Amino acid sequence: MSTARREVRVTVNGRAYSRSVEPRMLLADFVRHECGLTGTHVGCAHGVCGACTVVLDGVSARSCLTFAIQADGKEITTVEGLAEGDSLNALQQAFHENHALQCGYCTPGFLMSLTEFLRETPDPDEAQIRERLSGNLCRCTGYANIVRAVQAAAQRLREEGRT
Amino acid sequence: MSTHDEGSDTWVGKAVLRKEDQRLLRGFGTYVDDVPEPRGTLHLSMLRSPYAHARVLSVDTSEAESLDGVVAVVTGADVADLIPPFAADYERPGFKISHRPALATDTVRFVGDGVALVLAENAYVAEDAIGLIYVEYEPLPAVADVEEALQPDAPRIHEDLEDNILLTGGNKTDGFDAVFQSADHVFRERFRINRVAGVAMEPRGCLAIYDKAEDAVTLWTGTQVPHMLRVGIARYLGWSESQVRVVAPDVGGGFGPKMYLYPEELLAVALARQYRSPVKWIEDRLEDFLTTYHARDHVYDVEVAFNDDGTVQAVNVDVLVNSGAYSNYPMGVGLEPFQGPLNMPGPYRFRQFAFTCKGIATNTCSTGAFRGVSAPCVTMAMEGMMDRMARHLGLDRVEIRRRNIIHSDEFPYLNVNNQRYDTGSYVECLDRALEMVDYEGYLAAQTPERIIDGKYRGIGIAVVTELTGQGAARYKARNLSDLPGFDGAHLAIEPNGQVIASTSFSSQGQGHETVFAQVIADELGVSVDDITVRGGDTQNSPFGTGTFASRGAVLGGGAVIRASGDLREKIKKFAAHLLEASPDDIVLEGGHAHVQGVREMRVSFYEIARAAYGLTDSMQLPEGEDFGLEALATYDPPASSIANACHIACVAVDAATGIVEVERYIVVHDCGRVINPLLVESQVQGGVAQGLGQALFEEVLYDAEGQLLSATLMDYMVPTACDVPTLEFEHIESPSSDTLGGFKGAGEGGVIGSLPAIACAVGDALVPVGANINRLPLRPDTVLSLIEGADG
Amino acid sequence: MAEHGIDARPLAGGQSLVPLINMRMAQPAVLVDLNRCSELAYLREEDGVLACGPMIRQRELELSPLVRRHCPLIAEAMPHMGHATIRNRGTAGGSLSHADPSAELPGVALAMDAEMVAEGPNGRRNIPVAEFFFAELTTALAADEVLREIRFPKANSHTVAAFAEVGSHFGGLAIVGVAVQVERDTAGRCTKVVLAATGAGERPTRLPSAESILTGEALEERTIMAAAEAAASDVDPLEDLHASAHWRRRAAVAMVAQALRQIAAGVHSR
Repeated sequence: MSTARREVRVTVNGRAYSRSVEPRMLLADFVRHECGLTGTHVGCAHGVCGACTVVLDGVSARSCLTFAIQADGKEITTVEGLAEGDSLNALQQAFHENHALQCGYCTPGFLMSLTEFLRETPDPDEAQIRERLSGNLCRCTGYANIVRAVQAAAQRLREEGRT
Repeated sequence: MSTHDEGSDTWVGKAVLRKEDQRLLRGFGTYVDDVPEPRGTLHLSMLRSPYAHARVLSVDTSEAESLDGVVAVVTGADVADLIPPFAADYERPGFKISHRPALATDTVRFVGDGVALVLAENAYVAEDAIGLIYVEYEPLPAVADVEEALQPDAPRIHEDLEDNILLTGGNKTDGFDAVFQSADHVFRERFRINRVAGVAMEPRGCLAIYDKAEDAVTLWTGTQVPHMLRVGIARYLGWSESQVRVVAPDVGGGFGPKMYLYPEELLAVALARQYRSPVKWIEDRLEDFLTTYHARDHVYDVEVAFNDDGTVQAVNVDVLVNSGAYSNYPMGVGLEPFQGPLNMPGPYRFRQFAFTCKGIATNTCSTGAFRGVSAPCVTMAMEGMMDRMARHLGLDRVEIRRRNIIHSDEFPYLNVNNQRYDTGSYVECLDRALEMVDYEGYLAAQTPERIIDGKYRGIGIAVVTELTGQGAARYKARNLSDLPGFDGAHLAIEPNGQVIASTSFSSQGQGHETVFAQVIADELGVSVDDITVRGGDTQNSPFGTGTFASRGAVLGGGAVIRASGDLREKIKKFAAHLLEASPDDIVLEGGHAHVQGVREMRVSFYEIARAAYGLTDSMQLPEGEDFGLEALATYDPPASSIANACHIACVAVDAATGIVEVERYIVVHDCGRVINPLLVESQVQGGVAQGLGQALFEEVLYDAEGQLLSATLMDYMVPTACDVPTLEFEHIESPSSDTLGGFKGAGEGGVIGSLPAIACAVGDALVPVGANINRLPLRPDTVLSLIEGADG
Repeated sequence: MAEHGIDARPLAGGQSLVPLINMRMAQPAVLVDLNRCSELAYLREEDGVLACGPMIRQRELELSPLVRRHCPLIAEAMPHMGHATIRNRGTAGGSLSHADPSAELPGVALAMDAEMVAEGPNGRRNIPVAEFFFAELTTALAADEVLREIRFPKANSHTVAAFAEVGSHFGGLAIVGVAVQVERDTAGRCTKVVLAATGAGERPTRLPSAESILTGEALEERTIMAAAEAAASDVDPLEDLHASAHWRRRAAVAMVAQALRQIAAGVHSR
């Protein structure tokens, strides 16, 4: 009954995937192991660390707290969908230029959350940035360079006139 | 040494952006769980004891075995012949060896100790099956607290040992007693240091792939020490080392807990061969809190004898370390008990020092290395005592330190523990940090009541030394038979002229691909862009020790310098042959070799490589030279090199809630010759965040029966971006006189300085309540009690 | 749900339930996914109330101009709830039904005297908010009921609200919070004061001693401190690894003071 596999059709980073999965399969595991997009990482599976953050139907979401079948018919963006061809996008480039990552495990989750943040808050102050960042955990950097990267990305995006 | 003597920029010292970033930012990093699973991979799930101490009477696996998708259910009895109990070799008086079975057979000794495991077709089913294994336990009395474990009637963790003391040690300098007795004052205090967890964002995991043609296993695992792991696995399984390959891919944070051999790795490798299937195990965060080795959990009884002029005459410390249930491999239990006393003198010149130390078994997860090891903790005690002494004598905290600090003109200095301090800038870092924080201004604005706007405010200053770059001599002096101590680098120019380097290290975010490339770039006169640095794979890298204890820059830097030197000679010989000049007249620069002073007479690395690899239309081999263009070198530094820093924390303590905010944080840091200042600063920033967490709210909590209370990220608090201020940071460089390249390590300094700086700052803020800060963490609850205790 | 009884759990935003499932602390045989029931996600202005469907996302409440205008306490509290990504999926009904003692929305509902409308196979019923939150993680909903609608009374234009909370560190889980809603006369004296604490007991708690001190008084430091101290006797805090009962009590006092000072100073909490 409840363990019988179900069809899931999703679009991830613009590409369609169709798979048959158990209802209890987490979206994080689906994206990683069914779609082969391993950029989304699992750090805790209880919604605290944010490493699994993706964009689901236009809003950031913890993929470890969502079941794959809940995403049926929806659009997902993961970190692999951010770069513009071979070039890092403005936010990724800002992370690079500001050395905002060390081991890189938490980074995709930050990028997905911040993509939404900068769209909603194009000119954030430091307190707003830290507040938003507090939804993701990093154990390596101590956050300072991530704050700098967000400030740099926000400025560049404002200059480019788009978010 | 460097060939850049004709005015061009050097790469060492530059804030080069990281080569690693491209793949990590795109989500193309490959961590263990990302490694493609071969068809037929079995997923391993562990059944772990819910008791801290119990006999295992029976294990009923029948229901689990019959679950669809389960291939095997394995118990301790099943693997006892495959995997003997493992233990670190640690030949030393006062050490009792204790072995750890890969899976418990008759006794479990901590909550989380593995009892059985399932191999299944996917991870979900494997976890389902765990719930269907029925174990009959006979609970035994358990003990979690280190002092309770010392009581004569305490539950015995290892029945074959006469007590729970796994290690004892001590030393006393000659003449200690006389000096101690004759000092003007003695302060005594007990410090209790909390147990913490590494909480790397990537949980532990491994994938063991069996190659049936070779009868060999490749183990993908997030380890800091691939070569040591390979040696250990081969040894314990009784295999030839050629049957084991260890590969550390991208690793999501190490910090120390990933420098050990864990039972799951032994099990995955052994079972992959037994079942002739790939075996994969990935822990979840709960298991990580339960079983990935913890750290700290120390008790110090400190006595400081000092004179009226503020000079410390003698220090005595008795150290108790909670070692947990099992000695770990390869460090053994001696790490924290000895490193505490070793690092306690820090930058101070006192000449009498006595210590005792004990590593004590309890029914908790084993403890081991975590960034800084004991240094942050003993430094907190030492700096705390300095502040107390200052207050007692009516001296400024900076002044009392000045009266005890080793000055730069005294290097090299042999400290009271016979630790050689090669070079340093203790006073210079202190002076500069004081300027940056405007110490005089801070004091002028401070009131005896300390309260402004409902918050107690205080400043804490920590002058710290950091033990870095330890080599073989140090490890052998510490009786660490399983740690080689040296590291290696292999360099090759490829047929297309590019440089490929491979070192014995693995990286967990330290940027080795960039920093080692910077060193090589200067040595060979090429661009960082033309150098690829690899590591982590025992099949493709030279033997060595690995990444921990702030050794990467020193050992790796030294190894690549030596290998570069050998390679440079060969390049010059080929270039000289092609240019019909003498090798002594050849200069390497910009990816070319040219005749000194005659830039137009040059050949590219590409052309040199073609000649060296026989890819030319005629013989281009210099007389007496062999084909090929590569070099292999190892490096073992003389002993260790001592980095130093001054940390200053300014805190605000909310009088109503006890919550502590770090408002400003200053670091002036000296790690010798800096390879990449951007990376060093970020290492310190990250270290400060971890020290802040331990100081203020991180705690692994066991109850009296050994039940782990803090098993999730909701219960174990890790610092967020709202907790950690951006450092005000400067470098000072005192190149090491002892290491190749003059480098010193930099990985742990952030933690070593932040624990004392923050603890002292809170102590200063709470001067009006008269509280000595000697207990961590300083949670709001604890701090509020201190504040209220003053009124009560 | 009627079919499966206690083996079935409704799935709303999942931000509280799925962690428990992932850790195998909750193992429902059946999850009833309410996310596709679009008729449950609404925010409707009615006469005197804002009616919320249970599946309204916390983020929508946070950004809603209707909420900002008519229910200032919700607007003040929302940014404190978890993190933005959690609020994208988390729902009002989910948070209220989960009844974590430290959750903000139950405190807000209590302070606003919201109507909690339950629905089951036998139809709908109103549960008074003071009875709705029964104990830690326990509401008055029967096993076959869901929270079908929450009716928040609209505040008048004189009503000002604030929310303050504190945890063991910054940016992490809150332990204790205080919601306050006041109306003042033209002389600045409080004509109506409601204070509710979260995380200071098994369930959200009104603070009647504090409320009675403030009624008829202006929000000056003296009255704020008196009200805050009085709140200490209104709470019956739990003790756990995060904080002692004593600290929770003192934190409640501190948060009452902090929230009231925000109102006095005319600043919002965020």
